[in-house]
Amino acid sequence: MVKKILEVGYGSVEKVQIGDRLPLVFIGGPCAIETRGHAFKMADEIGKICRRVGISWIYKSCFDKDCRSSPDSFHGIGMHEGLRVLSDVRDEFGVPVVSDFSDPAWGKATGEVCDMVQVPAYLCRQTSMLRAAAQTGRPIHLKKGQFMSPWNMKNSVRKIEAAGNHQVLLADRGTFFGYNMLVNDMTCFPIMAATGYPVCFDATHSIQLPTSMGNISGGQRQFIPHLVRAAVACGVNALFMEAHDDPDNALSDANTVLNLRYLENILGQAKIVHEMRLELLDKFGEDNVHPEK
Amino acid sequence: MFTQKNNILVRDVMMSLDRVPVIGESVIFKEALEEMGRKRLGIACVVSEQKRLKGILTDGDIRRMLLRVQKPFSAFFVDDALDHAIQSPLTIEPAHTLVHAVRLMDEKHIWDLPVVDGAGVLVGLLHLHPAVEALLGIED
Repeated sequence: MVKKILEVGYGSVEKVQIGDRLPLVFIGGPCAIETRGHAFKMADEIGKICRRVGISWIYKSCFDKDCRSSPDSFHGIGMHEGLRVLSDVRDEFGVPVVSDFSDPAWGKATGEVCDMVQVPAYLCRQTSMLRAAAQTGRPIHLKKGQFMSPWNMKNSVRKIEAAGNHQVLLADRGTFFGYNMLVNDMTCFPIMAATGYPVCFDATHSIQLPTSMGNISGGQRQFIPHLVRAAVACGVNALFMEAHDDPDNALSDANTVLNLRYLENILGQAKIVHEMRLELLDKFGEDNVHPEK
Repeated sequence: MFTQKNNILVRDVMMSLDRVPVIGESVIFKEALEEMGRKRLGIACVVSEQKRLKGILTDGDIRRMLLRVQKPFSAFFVDDALDHAIQSPLTIEPAHTLVHAVRLMDEKHIWDLPVVDGAGVLVGLLHLHPAVEALLGIED
C-alpha cells in the first residue's frame, strides 16, 4: 500500500502537506461563516495561535449549514457571500481554506475558491456529492458518516477515484452509539488509513450529542483533550476542531465549538503527542501485529 | 484400455478466460466470491491491468480463511480480494505437455493450474477434469 500525501493550497497561500510521517496539520475555524469581520478575526487569532504552537493549518468555515436540527436555526450566509469571505481570508492571511458543500450543484463554485472541499458526514456515501467533490480537482476532506463502518468508507473513496480524484483525507467525527450519542472507535484510523490516504480526527464533532436537546445538539467539550491525545497517538495526520471566541453566541454548533482560549493548549499537546508518535515509529517501526499469527 | 496421450499440450485443453473467474486487483472479496459462483469454479485468478497473474483465491483457502478471520464479515467482504489471495501461485505455460501438468497437479494435490505466457500474462486455466478426460481420450 502506497501512502499518499495531499498538498492543500493553490496560488499564493501557504502549501500545506498532509500524510505519512509529515507533521500534524490543524484544520479549524468557526463552524459557520457568521460575518466577514468575525471570519477575519478568527483567521487572525487562530493563525497567531498556530504560529506560536508551530503547526501548519487550514482555515475551515462553512457558508451553508444544511444539517441543522431546527428550521429556525441559522442556515448560513449563503454560497456567494460565503465564498467571497473565504476568498478574502485566503488573500489577507495567506492561509488555505476549506468549506463543505451540501448540494452537488455547489461543488464547482466551492472548488474554484477553496483549497480543499469537504463532504459532510451525513452525505459521505452520496454518489452525486462525491462525484461533484472529485470534479473540483481539489483535495477532499471526507467525513465518515456517524452511521458508517470505517471499512465501508472504502466504497466512498472508490467513487471519488472513479471520478478521477486521488486526493482524499478521511476523517472520523464519531459513530452513533444508540440514539443522540456518539462514540469514537479508535480502530477506525488504521482501518481507514489502509486505503493509503491520510486520516483526520474531528474532535469537536466527536463530543457532540446529536440533537440531544430537542431541536439542537448538545456536546461534552470536557472530553476534547482526552480524545485528541488518543487519536493523535493512534496516528492521525490531521486534527480538526471548530473554534470560536464566544461559543455561547456562536451561530452554529454552540455546544460543541471549542472556546479559543483552550486552542493553544490542546494544539500544543497534540503536536507533542504527534512528535512522540513519529519518534516511536523511528524507534520501533510500523505496527506489525498480525491479526492471526 | 485407455492409452495415455503424450502429445497433448496444455494449450489444447486449457479453459479460455471467458469461462474462468478473472478479477482485477482492486476487486473486493465479495465480488470475487460472486464471480466464482457465476463461473462455477473453485478458483479465481487476480490479474493486474496488464493481465499479469498476481494471485489466486481457491475454495480451500477461503474455507480455511473463514475459520481464521477475526473481523466482521462486512469488513472482510470489502477487503481487496488480492489481500487474501495466494501470491506467486504455481503456474504452467501453454506449451507444456498435459502429462507434465497433470503430474504436477497430482504431486501438489491441486485441481487447477493458471496458464501464463512467458511474460506472466494469464492466458487460460487448466482444470483437472477436462485434463484427465483428454488424457483418457474421453470426448465431451
